[in-house]
Amino acid sequence: MAKILVVADIKNDALKDSTTELLSKAGSIGAETAVVAIGSNIEALISGLVNAGSDTQYVADDPALAIFSAGPYASCVADAAKQFEADQIWFSFSESGKAAAPRVAVQLEAACATEITDVAISGEHVEVTRPAIANKVMQRVRINAGQMVVVVRAGAFEAAEGITGTENVVTLSPPAVDVKAVVKELISDASGEIDLADADIVISVGRGVKDQTGVDLVKELAHDLKAGFGSSRAMVDGGFMAHNKQVGQTGKIVAPSLYMAIGISGAIQHLAGMNGSKVILAVNKDPEAPIFNVADYGIVGDLFEVVPILRAEIKKIRA
Amino acid sequence: MKILTTVKKVVDVELTIRVQAGAIVEDGLQYVINAWDENAVEAAVQLKENNNAETTLVSIGGGDNTDMIRKCYAMGIEKGIHVEDPALEKADSPVFARVLKKVFEKGDYDLVITGKQAQDTDSGQTGIMLAEYLGLPCVSNVIDIQVLDDQHIKVSRLGDAGTEIIELELPAVVTVTDSINEPRLPQMRGIMMAKKKPIDVMDLSALGISIDDADGAAAPTSEIVEFMASKTREAGQKFEGDAAQITAQVVSLLVDEANVL
Repeated sequence: MAKILVVADIKNDALKDSTTELLSKAGSIGAETAVVAIGSNIEALISGLVNAGSDTQYVADDPALAIFSAGPYASCVADAAKQFEADQIWFSFSESGKAAAPRVAVQLEAACATEITDVAISGEHVEVTRPAIANKVMQRVRINAGQMVVVVRAGAFEAAEGITGTENVVTLSPPAVDVKAVVKELISDASGEIDLADADIVISVGRGVKDQTGVDLVKELAHDLKAGFGSSRAMVDGGFMAHNKQVGQTGKIVAPSLYMAIGISGAIQHLAGMNGSKVILAVNKDPEAPIFNVADYGIVGDLFEVVPILRAEIKKIRA
Repeated sequence: MKILTTVKKVVDVELTIRVQAGAIVEDGLQYVINAWDENAVEAAVQLKENNNAETTLVSIGGGDNTDMIRKCYAMGIEKGIHVEDPALEKADSPVFARVLKKVFEKGDYDLVITGKQAQDTDSGQTGIMLAEYLGLPCVSNVIDIQVLDDQHIKVSRLGDAGTEIIELELPAVVTVTDSINEPRLPQMRGIMMAKKKPIDVMDLSALGISIDDADGAAAPTSEIVEFMASKTREAGQKFEGDAAQITAQVVSLLVDEANVL
């Protein structure tokens, strides 16, 4: 039986759903599962780790781990992987995971695959499926090493119903601080904002919204729907949206139930970040905009006219 | 400060990519410099201009990389190394990282700048693995680099919880995103000068890597079995006409048909 270690995805002191999704998938392929949680003051999360479907919980809880630092984070994962004798180490899609996975792979002399959408174990062989070339193709990749470290693409796996775990907590010793890469400061993203990666609805703005007035108009709609508020590259370059709001091959990759592209033409790099969404709605005044080729629903029209109507109609049905 | 920048030749993602019988159809493909590596080159050239850094690029594989390397010369890179070897045909990220390690060790560099990932694989592993093999500090997803002194730089990284400000002791490795800068267009004078500059082409044995080495430096740990066409989304329903009417219609479809509102 394969042994799979899932790295808990913790943000703002809470366990994200992706942890359960990864543990569910690991359980569904018949693996023995463990989870490793890394942070500061995370004792309250332990019951959540068990309920997410893990058989063993490795916990690295130390004030020095309060702010992410890739070196110590990777050391904790490698430590847990060795203790658990993991065959596979699974990270959720996150900047922390993307930074730590290659380090862990080198430390364990394991193979490494990022952005995977599926794992198959057949006999001696492990194979993963992953998109490449800006999502334009898929690759089936055979792993030729005894161990494998992967980063799972957002939304690839679903949480199972009625899963249970067993409480078996193993405390990890705190790792050495990285004295050669010292985190001096963390400038937090504005608090109270809905995380793009977690949001059930994501609304993004593109060049078509033109300026701050347009951004604010769409932001109101996002606020109404408690949606994540994202952006195309153009609005980030224009200084209207923060870097961390960029959806695309180079920015965040999202897979919400509903993605609304407002005034976004649909450049290939943007599509690579959102075409895993369940339903896509596009609003654009250019009927030939490539975004309409991927949109389930397209409204050809002036967004400055359409967005207020959208708000009003949605308010009406939600009243 | 001596900077090593990595550049990879990748398939142009703007063009249509076709898959047939488990492989990508070569016909009609074009190859360009990996976009994020162009940001890495620009970052290196800015450090040359502002902090008197020396700039070298290295490219691994890709066949004839002359045009790409000359473009980087024209942007301001001073030296170029191209590692080419038949054994690299199936190289994965760990192999690239181990080859880069050998290049790094021959050059006494202070800083390696790579793009955050290559557009063909979208893996994002090589730069981080290079640092790990060398035992050097590394920060990925960097959007700003400031030189503090001969031994230290300060970088900004886009992390999960916000922007992390990190001080790095040199030598170090950073991987950059396209938010860090806008790569310059080469000027005519630079293009003319670039044509005269030599490219240092070498194979693995010149770097001291044997393909049947016991340490397995050139042995990949993963192999692509097949390529498959991506599940493409089909264009759905497109509505034109009276804004109030079609918007109301789409909202009711989102509620009743798609069940997402």
